[in-house]
Amino acid sequence: MAAVTTEKVYGPQEPRSFNFLFGIVVRLAVLGLVNAVAFWLGYNLWRDGNTALGIVIVVIALGVTVINLWPSLWPLRWMSPGLALMALLAIYPIFYTVYVAFTNFSDGHRYTKAEAVALMSRTKVLAEGGTSYQWQVYSNEAGEYALWLTAEDGTTLFARPGQPVENVVANESGEGPYDESGAPATIDGFSLLTGGARFQALRDIQTIQFGTEEAPVGIKSRNEAGAFVSKWQFDADRNVLIDVENGTEYIPNEVTGDFVAASGATAPLGYWVPIGFQNFTRIFTSIAVSGPLIRVFLWTIAFAFLSVITSFAVGLMMALLLNGSGIRYKIIKSLLIIPYAVPGMISILIWRGMLNPNGGVITSTIANLTGYTVPWQTDAGWAKAGILLVNLWLSYPYFMLICSGALQSIPSSIYEAAEVDGANAWNKFWSLTLPLLLVAVGPLLIASFTYNFNNYLLIEAMFQGGPTMIGTNAPPVGHTDNLISYTFRFAFGAGGTRDFGFASAIAIIIFIMVGLLTLLQFRFTKRWEEVGDNV
Amino acid sequence: MSSLITSDAGRLSATRDSDPRNYVRGIFTLARVIVIGLALVFTLFPVVWIISASFNPTGSMATQTLIPTNVKSSADLFINFTKLLNNPQVPFWNWIGNSLVVSVITTVLSLGITILAAYSFSRFRFRGRRSLLVTILLVQVFPNILAMVALYLMVLQIGQYIPFLGLNQHGGLIMVYLGGAMGVNTWLVKGFFDTIPKDIDESALVDGATHWQTFWYLVFPLVRPILAVAAMLAFVGTFNEFILARILLSDRQNWTLMVGLFNFVSAKFTDDWGVFAAGSLIAATPIVILYLSLQKYIVGGLTQGAVKG
Repeated sequence: MAAVTTEKVYGPQEPRSFNFLFGIVVRLAVLGLVNAVAFWLGYNLWRDGNTALGIVIVVIALGVTVINLWPSLWPLRWMSPGLALMALLAIYPIFYTVYVAFTNFSDGHRYTKAEAVALMSRTKVLAEGGTSYQWQVYSNEAGEYALWLTAEDGTTLFARPGQPVENVVANESGEGPYDESGAPATIDGFSLLTGGARFQALRDIQTIQFGTEEAPVGIKSRNEAGAFVSKWQFDADRNVLIDVENGTEYIPNEVTGDFVAASGATAPLGYWVPIGFQNFTRIFTSIAVSGPLIRVFLWTIAFAFLSVITSFAVGLMMALLLNGSGIRYKIIKSLLIIPYAVPGMISILIWRGMLNPNGGVITSTIANLTGYTVPWQTDAGWAKAGILLVNLWLSYPYFMLICSGALQSIPSSIYEAAEVDGANAWNKFWSLTLPLLLVAVGPLLIASFTYNFNNYLLIEAMFQGGPTMIGTNAPPVGHTDNLISYTFRFAFGAGGTRDFGFASAIAIIIFIMVGLLTLLQFRFTKRWEEVGDNV
Repeated sequence: MSSLITSDAGRLSATRDSDPRNYVRGIFTLARVIVIGLALVFTLFPVVWIISASFNPTGSMATQTLIPTNVKSSADLFINFTKLLNNPQVPFWNWIGNSLVVSVITTVLSLGITILAAYSFSRFRFRGRRSLLVTILLVQVFPNILAMVALYLMVLQIGQYIPFLGLNQHGGLIMVYLGGAMGVNTWLVKGFFDTIPKDIDESALVDGATHWQTFWYLVFPLVRPILAVAAMLAFVGTFNEFILARILLSDRQNWTLMVGLFNFVSAKFTDDWGVFAAGSLIAATPIVILYLSLQKYIVGGLTQGAVKG
């Protein structure tokens, strides 16, 4: 069959060389495009102070180029798109997380100095002094406004919102009749507003910026219009930020990343600066932080451990009970793995509803039977129990599947030999089934532990980490929060500033934990393999 | 692939045959039936309950009964579905559409990327091959949600110059998902390619085919059915992803289904229980059917070490 296909595809020589040339042209075009975008992006990032990301993007683009043009690197061509994406979005973020952990990146300090200055300069105020104009106002049928401006030297301009200001000529542009200042009655579909109409329009147009974002013009008073200027101007030579409205000078403080005035006031935006180990010392020295963090840490481990143990035990039990041939076993197994197939978020929300204290079916049934309304959402112990119950429901089918497969791969001759030696069912389970099963399942248990260690979905969707620990409010930390949801609360949660630097410091702790767990997993894998070889 | 489920070799005969006395056997059987029955109730009750809730015209949590009462016409049965789809506060179709767009694009691109990489890892021998494979394995160890802060800031920064890759854009979300593509699937797909004999490639290469032609006309068609499984796993994984979508998408209209359902539930759960149930049913049914129909292959993939995300 293979021979037939090859005949078809590889015919005469000409198409191949055409394909060859075509391939080179396409490759060069794609590489050119990738490099153009990467260099443009890199330059912009570098200009605005995000130097590291800019450099990384350019270096990755150059790497892709070298791989695709260097003849001896041809096997890597095939994976260059994947490697580029992995380098940019999987490896660089790890280093970037470490870097952010050593900065004060947070709300108010979210940008580089250059970006912060650029963002603040978008706030425009009408300049004192500067060019001043007489104005007439026009409106068109769409309800848009435009201004006819006459400068003191007689220059006339026509300004619309969002469009460049046009030069116009008094008594010539537009259609007459012209008034005493030379403004036409209609121009470009706009007609002049006078008297009461002009007065009414004043209220609307006071807030409008006419002209483009770069050179906006606005109404200053009943008779005067003038140019808008940036409220904040940065004097790079003197390294001061000036509030144009009142002339206050703000000096950048490179330690805290704020622009500080002599009065102690700070400009609305600061910028991020490296702050050394401050985020880490905060973890270990601040009681308000370290107290809840230790509890979160312990619960994270307990949750992962108990989840794996309970799901594995129930999964193994069901696998043993259903370890038979026959259609009814197959049907029962298919029914039991349904929880595994339902999207996790939906399952968890269903459980959250069933455990709801106001009418959730499980809570109200228990209340009817025993008279006790289980406080799933308000009692730390019950909340934890509820989460473990739901996770059992979510994950035991997985272990049932795995164990079923592993059980069937254990040769029956081993059991026969054990029976000859006089082993009973109990002996056989503990001395044969379980050890042999762990050979196959051991690494998966650790993988599952690692997964649950980072299980954000269940924690967040179930009780949002609640009930809240007393004494934590910025942000509030809950009794069922695990490390990853704790990190989330500091970085993105409600009720606190978005403290990216501190959240990254916590994330580094998780990185280290996950790394250690994985090391353990690899060692286990090796050890179990040896066990398997000996049997 | 694996036939782990269907094979019956080595069945555990411990409980049935070890004890000759009949009454012990009877107790064992009874206990076994009871446990299996309890497991079925525990496992299936939430599923049955949510299906019942979606067709229950009362719509609220406290008044729900297992068999819907007060059903006067067939329209009553579907009242939760009509409510769901006509509520401007809950742009349910938008969310489903967003989830589908993001998941389909991510699946196609990430499979394209990983297939090429996995093929060259499977077929070519070059310096640094082993260390690259190990690197990919190590990168996969650290789920990208650990770097959520860094990813958020990167998307913020890139979005200032390329808006469609920025915050609150599906492009930015897809970009972040693609960053994890290589780590998740390369090993799995490489395993697929390893099952195709190399003789096929070699005979084509001897005949003068390029590597690309060998891949595209010979090997790729052979692994296509198996790749469908990898595609489905990637699709479902993206469809179910929550945390990155929640961080990166801020506008209600742009949310994916999982973010939408989560926020919908946070608002007023007990009154909208029936509507939530209807939405869950619409969203979960296709996924469950997909999973169950491909169950055999998924089990094979699972035992190779993948954990459901």
